[in-house]
Amino acid sequence: MSWQTFILHFFTYGILLYSLILLICYVLIGAFSISETRSYLHKNSFTDYRLLASSTETPSMSILAPAYNEGANIIENVRSLLSLHYNNLEVIIINDGSKDDSLEKLIRAYDMYKVDFFVGQQVKTKPVRGVYKSYNPVYRKLIVIDKENGGKADALNVGVNIASNDYFVCIDVDCVLEQDALLKLAKPFLEGANQRVIAAGGVVRIANSCVIEGGRLVKVNLPKQFLPRIQTLEYIRAFLLSRMAWTKLNGLLLISGAFGAFDREIVINCGGYNTNTVGEDMELVVRMRRYMEERDEPYKVAFIPDPLCWTEAPSTFKILGRQRNRWTRGTIETLRFHKVMLFNPRYGILGMLSYPYWLFFEFLAPIIEFFGTIGLIIYCFTYAINWSAILIMIGVLCMGILYSIFAIMMEVLTYNQYKERKDILRLVGVAILEPFIFHPFVVWSAIRGNIDLIRKRNSWGEMTRQGFAAEKKVS
Amino acid sequence: MVIKAYLLTSFNIAWHIQNIILAGIILLILGLLVYMLSYMYFKSIYDKKFEKWSLISDLLIRKAIFYDDDEIEDDTLIPVTARAEKLMHNKYFRKLLVTEIISAKKNITGISADNLKHLYVQLGLEKYALNNLTSSRWYIKARAVQELTIMDMKEFVDQLYSYTDDKNDLVRMEAQSALVQFNGFDGLRFLDTITYPISNWQQIKLLQQLSHLPPSDIDMSIWFKSPNSSVIVLALKLARNYHRFELHDDIISCLDHSDPWVRFEAIQCLTEIYTDETSDHLISRFLNEILKNQLAMIKVMQTIGTDRDVLFLLDLLTYDSDEIKIFAARALAQTSKNGLDSLLEYSGKADQSINEIVMHIKGEIAA
Repeated sequence: MSWQTFILHFFTYGILLYSLILLICYVLIGAFSISETRSYLHKNSFTDYRLLASSTETPSMSILAPAYNEGANIIENVRSLLSLHYNNLEVIIINDGSKDDSLEKLIRAYDMYKVDFFVGQQVKTKPVRGVYKSYNPVYRKLIVIDKENGGKADALNVGVNIASNDYFVCIDVDCVLEQDALLKLAKPFLEGANQRVIAAGGVVRIANSCVIEGGRLVKVNLPKQFLPRIQTLEYIRAFLLSRMAWTKLNGLLLISGAFGAFDREIVINCGGYNTNTVGEDMELVVRMRRYMEERDEPYKVAFIPDPLCWTEAPSTFKILGRQRNRWTRGTIETLRFHKVMLFNPRYGILGMLSYPYWLFFEFLAPIIEFFGTIGLIIYCFTYAINWSAILIMIGVLCMGILYSIFAIMMEVLTYNQYKERKDILRLVGVAILEPFIFHPFVVWSAIRGNIDLIRKRNSWGEMTRQGFAAEKKVS
Repeated sequence: MVIKAYLLTSFNIAWHIQNIILAGIILLILGLLVYMLSYMYFKSIYDKKFEKWSLISDLLIRKAIFYDDDEIEDDTLIPVTARAEKLMHNKYFRKLLVTEIISAKKNITGISADNLKHLYVQLGLEKYALNNLTSSRWYIKARAVQELTIMDMKEFVDQLYSYTDDKNDLVRMEAQSALVQFNGFDGLRFLDTITYPISNWQQIKLLQQLSHLPPSDIDMSIWFKSPNSSVIVLALKLARNYHRFELHDDIISCLDHSDPWVRFEAIQCLTEIYTDETSDHLISRFLNEILKNQLAMIKVMQTIGTDRDVLFLLDLLTYDSDEIKIFAARALAQTSKNGLDSLLEYSGKADQSINEIVMHIKGEIAA
């Protein structure tokens, strides 16, 4: 065996070992997810949410919805938020220096006036230009803040400063929430008798092709377009498998910025959202966990698998690429800020399991996959076809398909949002196609995210959405 | 050479391993697909069957609810069809029937509810529930406790008492609710002994159950001495909700408890149960409290404070915390006329931030 062959084998079997460990992780994630989801569903069958809706002991909540140039749909979106079932609620819309007429529209539609409002600086932010409340008592829950543009994290920090309640829920203003979403999200905070629940996340689902009327989800449909449909599968996999499994281990690092609830006191003690990263949602959760670990206080990050929040997924490769590029940069930045935790037993599960998993299988996986694929192509072109490497490649592809089909099965056995048999078969078809069409693009976007980070390009990336009204026309 | 040969053997073994793994993955994919499609197929068949069973159980429940005898006796038999009687041997039908009986029982009272209980006992469903109490699966056990509670099976209350300190939170929650359901305030005797914490969720549930009953003078002093913090917290909530003024001293003693959760609830409780000296108790402990409890203390003083507290509240305006300043200003403005005047006078001499706070408070009052 020549040294060249040895090196070739070494890398080939190195990747095999990596894939094996990943496979074991997938199996464990599947097992933990089954256990956690079963337990949640059993517990939930005993829960009467009407209790929370009528009780005066319900924890008070503030919804924080940052808005930037959302003028097209902002009135309907705010109306949808105001109609949520929850007793002790305030809705705070933060106009982050929009260049459009969002603020004027809100003032007109909700009969608002500027109030004298002292904005504390528990978390440092860009200046607030004005705080608005409504003359109409029907909208007494609504507060609109106008501030200088500072990005999503800065807008959320202003919301944290102004919120008067114990917990806040951050959401993307264009998301559609189920009517009982807040009741379900509040419950985990009431259950932590031995440990403090510092944050709770909920499942985000894809709303493309769904029927939305008056800011409410009326009918769930599988997206008709290919990209949103693939993302439907991706979201099921991420939320129903991965996050449930990490919740079981109390090692969840990410609560989606589109929908999550937080303990305001802990967020303020941690310094609020980090404005120096595009992954402010993950970074906040990691920092809150680190804060609790360093103080040796028992805590939990909860997650509930009910489909509560519906969002519009990117339907073009251009916008999807920007989103994935940003997610990659956010992950790397977060891992870099908290590198002290890597394999540090002081941080328990967080340092010994969650952080290493994100480093090796979320951050490194696309890089290994990219260079592995390039290597394989080079071998083929130089007539040095390595059948072992090709088999590993096929194995990895099949593993991905297996994991996706397992996720579809979990969806069918639990929430079964897509009741038609043909929709499930379509999802299976998507699971088979994904590794060939969608996944390479996601890997490429992640690589571009790495390159952009090295070149210090840290833009958010514009996220143009069709809007649900436009979507309705398409469907 | 030896190393090379060793590596070559290792690579060969790895080759075989990867083949086996690949075959395994492909088999698993096929297996999962077959399982999922079969599940969907059989589920659609069972759904149809359940629809038929649902009609049978609906009929049975309707018969019981509208049973026309004025008063149903122990030996009265509600007519049950032969089909339904035969189906009673099927555990899935029994499960469906119990679910529907429970759902109906939750929404009705009076004679109809008694009739449903009669039907439940006539069909011997309580025996299955009692059997389920010994299950090793927590959710079956908890479901059985819930079932016996909703069906008002008071005769099993002693049996259920033993589950009030069960290691599973759902089982003990259901058992605790059962005791309160059957015995009202007296059912809270489980608080004397329980070792596991009562979550806020469970406290909401118990308080809601009790809210339907007339107030009681139950002796709560023992709960204030419980080593279980959650028991003290529940006692504080009860004292507050039922205005138990005689417990003022017990509440004050909770201000020195080591658990901040207990201290917080004690502070909250003082909004309803206070004397002329309550403010002094709060002021003397203010500096040693955590921020959350300090804010709660100021909020209490907003309700119970008097002219005597104005100097203390004015002093809080010099603190660094914006939250303390705004809470203190709000309390000053609402404590008394003197408080508001003092605040306005202070703002004239203070920095810009205090002026902004005063404007904010004025705006709140005007709204």
